[in-house]
Amino acid sequence: MTTTDPEPFWTHAHGALVHFPIALVCAAGVLEAAGFALRSRDCMRSLREAAHWTMLLGAAGSVPAVASGLFLTRGRMWGHGALRLHHLFVWPSFGLVVGLAVWRTALGARASDGNRAGYLAVLAVAIVLITFAGYWGGVLLSRP
Amino acid sequence: MTAVLPLTPRAALIAAMVGAAAALGSAYAGARGLQLADARRSHALPSPDRWADPPDDLSAAAQAGGRKLYLRYCAHCHGADATGDEGPDLHDEEVSDRYIARTILKGIPHQMPSFAKKFGAAETRELTAYLRTLD
Repeated sequence: MTTTDPEPFWTHAHGALVHFPIALVCAAGVLEAAGFALRSRDCMRSLREAAHWTMLLGAAGSVPAVASGLFLTRGRMWGHGALRLHHLFVWPSFGLVVGLAVWRTALGARASDGNRAGYLAVLAVAIVLITFAGYWGGVLLSRP
Repeated sequence: MTAVLPLTPRAALIAAMVGAAAALGSAYAGARGLQLADARRSHALPSPDRWADPPDDLSAAAQAGGRKLYLRYCAHCHGADATGDEGPDLHDEEVSDRYIARTILKGIPHQMPSFAKKFGAAETRELTAYLRTLD
C-alpha cells in the first residue's frame, strides 16, 4: 500500500466499521419499539434506556464508518453507478441517525407517546435507508 | 438515562435538525479536504508515477490518436461526446494534465477501472491531449 493507492486498507477498514452502526441502530429500533409496546410494564424504563444508549453508540459509530468511506473514495461524496446509489441512501441515513440521537437525547424520559411514536417512525425510515445503503454497498464489494 | 437536555419537543426537533445538518456539513467539509489533498498530492508524485507526466505533444495527430482511444475505451461510460453517461462529463476539467493521466492509469476505486495494462505512456499522453481539447 502506498499513499497514492489507498483502496486496500480503506476497503477493509470501511467493511469492518460499517457493521457497528448498522447493528446498533437496528437494535435501537427494536428496543425502542419494545419499550413503546410494553409501556405499561415494569421493563419499559430499562428498554428505553437501552434503546437510548444503543442509538447514541450507533450515531457515534456512524462517524468512523462515514469517514472511512470518504477515505476509500478519496473524498467523492456521490460517484457513479452503484456507488451513487449507495451514497443516495448513505447520506440521508447518516443525517437521520445523528439527528435521531440528538432528538432522543433531548426528549429524554419526558417525551409523550406522540413524540415517541414520531421518533419511532423516523427511526424506522432510517433503518430502511440503512438497509438499502448496505445492499448497494454489498453490490460494490461483490464487483471484481 | 433520563432527560439529559431540558428541551421542549419543538426545541428537541430543532436540535435534531441542527445535529443532522452539522453531521452532513462535516462530512462535506471532510470530503472536500480529501479531494483537495488528493489533487495536491497528484502534482508531486514520486517515481514510478512520474512516467504519467503531462503531455508535451498537443499536435493534431496526437489529439486524433487520443480521440480514437477515447471512442474505443471511454465512450461507453462517458458518452461519445464526453458529456457524461454512466461516467461524468469530461468537459472543462479543472485539474492538471498529470491528474488526468494518473486517473486514467490508476482508475478510481469502485467507479472507474485502471487502464494501466491497456495504455502505455504514449497512449496516456494522447488520450490526455484529447481530453484537454474538450472545452
